Amino acid sequence: MKTCAELTIQQLHHALQSGDVSAVEIASATLDNIEQSDPTLNAYTHVTRDRMLSEAAKVDSLRASGGTLPPLAGVPYAVKNLLDVTGQVTLAGASLNSTNPVAKQDAWTVSRLASQGALLSGMLNMDAYAYGFTTENSHYGVTRNPRDTSRIAGGSSGGSAAAVAAGLVHFTLGSDTNGSIRVPSSLSGILGLKPTFGRISRSGSQPFVASLDHLGPMARCAADLSQVYDAMQGTDPQDAFQADKPTTETFSRLTHGQQGLRTAVLGGYFSTWCDDDAKDAVKLVAKALEAQEEIEMPQAELARSAAFLITASEGGNQYLPLLRSIPQQFEPLSRERLLAGAMIPAAWYVQAQRFRHQFQQQILPLFDHWDILIAPSTPCSATLIGQETIRINGTDLPTRASMGMLTQPISFLGLPVVSVPLQTASGLPIGLQLIAPPWREDLCLRAAWALEQQGLVKVLTSPVMK
Amino acid sequence: MSETKKNTASTNWAAYIAQMESVLALELDDARRQELLAQFSRIAQMAQPLMDLPLDPRLEIAGVYRA
Repeated sequence: MKTCAELTIQQLHHALQSGDVSAVEIASATLDNIEQSDPTLNAYTHVTRDRMLSEAAKVDSLRASGGTLPPLAGVPYAVKNLLDVTGQVTLAGASLNSTNPVAKQDAWTVSRLASQGALLSGMLNMDAYAYGFTTENSHYGVTRNPRDTSRIAGGSSGGSAAAVAAGLVHFTLGSDTNGSIRVPSSLSGILGLKPTFGRISRSGSQPFVASLDHLGPMARCAADLSQVYDAMQGTDPQDAFQADKPTTETFSRLTHGQQGLRTAVLGGYFSTWCDDDAKDAVKLVAKALEAQEEIEMPQAELARSAAFLITASEGGNQYLPLLRSIPQQFEPLSRERLLAGAMIPAAWYVQAQRFRHQFQQQILPLFDHWDILIAPSTPCSATLIGQETIRINGTDLPTRASMGMLTQPISFLGLPVVSVPLQTASGLPIGLQLIAPPWREDLCLRAAWALEQQGLVKVLTSPVMK
Repeated sequence: MSETKKNTASTNWAAYIAQMESVLALELDDARRQELLAQFSRIAQMAQPLMDLPLDPRLEIAGVYRA
């Protein structure tokens, strides 16, 4: 018999509705599992025990009174510690934020999930300032990969990936500026959705790079990802970067699967800068989705450079006052990188922003012919904690900067992407990006669902005990 | 060799960083200046091909997608 942690959100909903399990029982089991696993994983920076039990009691009261349970009722989740949670300090992975006042209200996304009955278990570890791809945090420790605890979980939403992979919660929220949902999803072997830029409200989240920051869910199956994504859509007048787009429900469309989807593989830059495991995974998925061609995304490398410049400049400016006043409190792995970014000439930054527009104009016509583009999410599988370089295409590359080299051009475009995990010959997972046109999250979720139906994508939990 | 490439290669980034240290009112020691120079030189290398790229004079910065 499956435990609650192994059920999908929809199955859990049925179990709750039928009285097989109570929300308080789900919350208590979740909190026990976190207590058992987190000393090894280090996925959580804070466990919101009282809030979770209180939210669970409300769900049980609603059920007892005969009320209709909302879709996410009783579903355990956790959020990257850059989203505001009422009464808690938002750290953004940085000890210099630890003395900030507590949040007066939940982030917009967290309040949406709370209103849908989801149970918040806590806040999750990340790279400091969300500037990194490994979650090796000098102040809050490294987050370990549940698939192999000697390896990194990826970053910057490393705690978010590890908590899902270990089966502690059904879903988590992460943020993705240059790949921070897709990279840890790839390395920890789960699914992650980076929606279209401007789709999900960012109100109540600690900004890093306003021009590139996205929020999105991470989960173990396409259906769970879709339900959470649907729950987080909606108009937030407070978010100036949110586009004026109507909500597009995705859950009911999943079963359309790959029917009618025109799929191509991204070659060139994306097939050059990855190892054989990634190439094999691309071949399998291309076959399963009946990809018809390999196509190029010209200037992808230049897009990566431009994304890097925008990130460095906006991220550096964000932290400049504190770099001046309390440099000793910064993460040593990124302090001078941030400061260098704060010194970038304006001409470089504006050129990168204008090139972004040109790159969009050049790439969008590809979607006249294709609905889904396939590319690896990371150049390779998870590296050992502390490993400084990865060898790709005969070149030694710095691990911390290079794990995101295949995701950066895509978030620079702002396109929606689901990263799906495949098992490699080594036993470690690697993620593939299923990239869709703007506002068509439904297409990449359908492709992910189709791969699950074929048995190519199947995420099991990797429980970790102390 | 393009103009920008020549400029980037020949630029004295240590002097630029010293200027910016003053403009931004920072207090750095030699070890930090050294690391900053390494980081900045890497960024400059990435910027160079982008700055070499001709852009349409009417091209504005990107916003969010509307269509």
